[in-house]
Amino acid sequence: MSILPRTQRGFQITILIILIAGAVIAVTPMVYMVSTAFKPAAYVPEFPPRFIPSNPTLENFRTAFASRNFDRAFFNSAKVAVATSFVVTALASMMAYAFARFEFPGKTLIFYSVLAMMMVPTMMLIIPQFILARRLGLQNSHTGLVMVYAAGGMAFNMFLLRGFFEELPRELEESALIDGANQFVIFTRIMLPLARPALSTVAVFSFLGAWDEYIWALTILTDPAKRTLPIAIQNFRGAHATDWGLVFAASLTAVVPTVLLFIFFQRYFVQGISTGALKG
Amino acid sequence: MKHKMLVVVLALALILPAAAVQAQGDGVTLQFWHTYNETSPENEMLVTTLIPMFEEAHPGIKVESVPFPYGEFRQTLLTSLAGGEGPDLARLDIIWSPEFAALGVLEPLDEIMPDFEELAAAVFPGPLSTNVYDGHTYGLPLDTNTRVFMWNKTLYERAGLEGPPATIDELKAQCEPIKALGDDIYLFSDGGTYGWAVLPWIWSFGGDITDPEITRASGYLNSEATVAAYEFLAEMVNSGCFSPSFLGGGMDTGQGYFNDIFASMLDGPWMFPIAEAQYPDFEIQAALMPAGPGGSISVVGGENIAVFKGSRDTEAALEFLRFTQSDEYQLKMSEVGQLTVKPALLEDEYFQNHPYYGVFLEQLQTARARTPHPTWTQMEEILSDAGQLILRGEASAQEALDAAAEEIDSLLAEGL
Repeated sequence: MSILPRTQRGFQITILIILIAGAVIAVTPMVYMVSTAFKPAAYVPEFPPRFIPSNPTLENFRTAFASRNFDRAFFNSAKVAVATSFVVTALASMMAYAFARFEFPGKTLIFYSVLAMMMVPTMMLIIPQFILARRLGLQNSHTGLVMVYAAGGMAFNMFLLRGFFEELPRELEESALIDGANQFVIFTRIMLPLARPALSTVAVFSFLGAWDEYIWALTILTDPAKRTLPIAIQNFRGAHATDWGLVFAASLTAVVPTVLLFIFFQRYFVQGISTGALKG
Repeated sequence: MKHKMLVVVLALALILPAAAVQAQGDGVTLQFWHTYNETSPENEMLVTTLIPMFEEAHPGIKVESVPFPYGEFRQTLLTSLAGGEGPDLARLDIIWSPEFAALGVLEPLDEIMPDFEELAAAVFPGPLSTNVYDGHTYGLPLDTNTRVFMWNKTLYERAGLEGPPATIDELKAQCEPIKALGDDIYLFSDGGTYGWAVLPWIWSFGGDITDPEITRASGYLNSEATVAAYEFLAEMVNSGCFSPSFLGGGMDTGQGYFNDIFASMLDGPWMFPIAEAQYPDFEIQAALMPAGPGGSISVVGGENIAVFKGSRDTEAALEFLRFTQSDEYQLKMSEVGQLTVKPALLEDEYFQNHPYYGVFLEQLQTARARTPHPTWTQMEEILSDAGQLILRGEASAQEALDAAAEEIDSLLAEGL
């Protein structure tokens, strides 16, 4: 009963098939992870692979939470990710606003210097960062994690936010200035609320970045009680054999908060990505 | 090159003000870094039984167990040491010991332990040799293992085969009956061409990677015997006798073995607890590595324990190291799958009555360690790549191994 011409309908069906195929490819590993998390003793992959476990069990979750430090790691990760998200959003937005609106000597040079930091591979920095962290007494501290995560994410997020601020009409500030507002008031009362979609994007991405980070955390945290989730999950793996049910149960537990976060902020940050990044 | 930089950074780090935590008058806490998986019985044994046992006998010394994921442990340890902050003791995979010794971060035990000779005499010489670098011994073996030939009884029976092959020729003869069971059934499988997989074949064919002094690979890696080993593997893979998993990817070896797709594999003692947990009806059949012209020679795995320079308290760390060499420690760890390194203990009732350690202990008598050299990680990469070229038919065994031998020669000449 479609009113569309034949060719257009055919085109739509093709698109639909491609989208479904894409969705299946994207979702399959996730589904497999979820199903394996409920399988008992999954050291060796099943043959043929089964998506519905034959004897589903909660044992893997029980083992994960009963192990030393897993619940602790969950809490540690949450703490570090929230703090990182807060620091990045606060500092990157101020920096971005300054680059978008103010004129000052060396602005271009500073801007590109900050951007150049994005190009340095993280692994190259790990030894200098480690020595620095040690000198500052930041080993085995979550502050050491947050500082490095925040610094690492700063350049890109500043860049994203600057693009967003530049798109906002200057008339808004001009009229606020006439009404007697100072720069701080303009920034906090006018610009930040308008930038909410972009800020949500920055906050969520910084949170996810800190939530997932593994190598730096593994390097500076040697106190098992301070370690974060990615380390706790990896510690369930063995040198010769791994119970994947346990690893996936732990991974699934780690994914739940990020999925909730996405559902919660989805509206904002899809918008944030599509608008902010348009103008560089 | 990477290593040269690391040595410089490391040297600097050692000169600079040492360990942040000083030994306090009322006791010291040692950090023991290892890769026991967090929920494993061996970790449980270490943390809840063995460490408390040690602490009780040594008031004033506390031991903190710090688990690391195996995959990233070597890199994380290198980074920490470069930053001037390492553990007091660590459990190192035997293939890493020479590398850390060469970096100068480990204590030479033969120089600082008055009772070293006695401890060294009590362990298997093979695993002990993996601690030697440049004439000194930088650690002691902690546990050992090896790979043996595991065969699938169901497939062997269906093919009408009597039992495991005693020789490589007999193995080859088993291909036809197994292939007759179906195109997707394979006689043998392994996961790639890395050292752990190919060395048992190379050695059993009478070949080798380098000369005994580890100064050159030419004449050994490209010798007639080593070439024959690779030609055999290539022939078996190409004729569909050995599974294509050798080329990387493909079906997991254990998966194929337990599901009656692969009739045999080489694997370690950890497969028994896995079978018990996941395939309770499956009975693993284990036999010695099939013998070739060079004998039945498998590869030694396992771990060493080493004490690091810059330890908060070297004497206390050595005390813990001594504890790990005690009969008590070795027996307790053997109970959770960490095979002992002390031959004298094999007389113990526990080993005499053990359901499956026997074949591993027999195999260990001839098993050899992967080339104990600081550049092993790089050597293995060269070896693995050459193996892929040969098995994929992109180069003849002789060509690929000539080139690989030359590469390893220059690696060995260059040193660290």
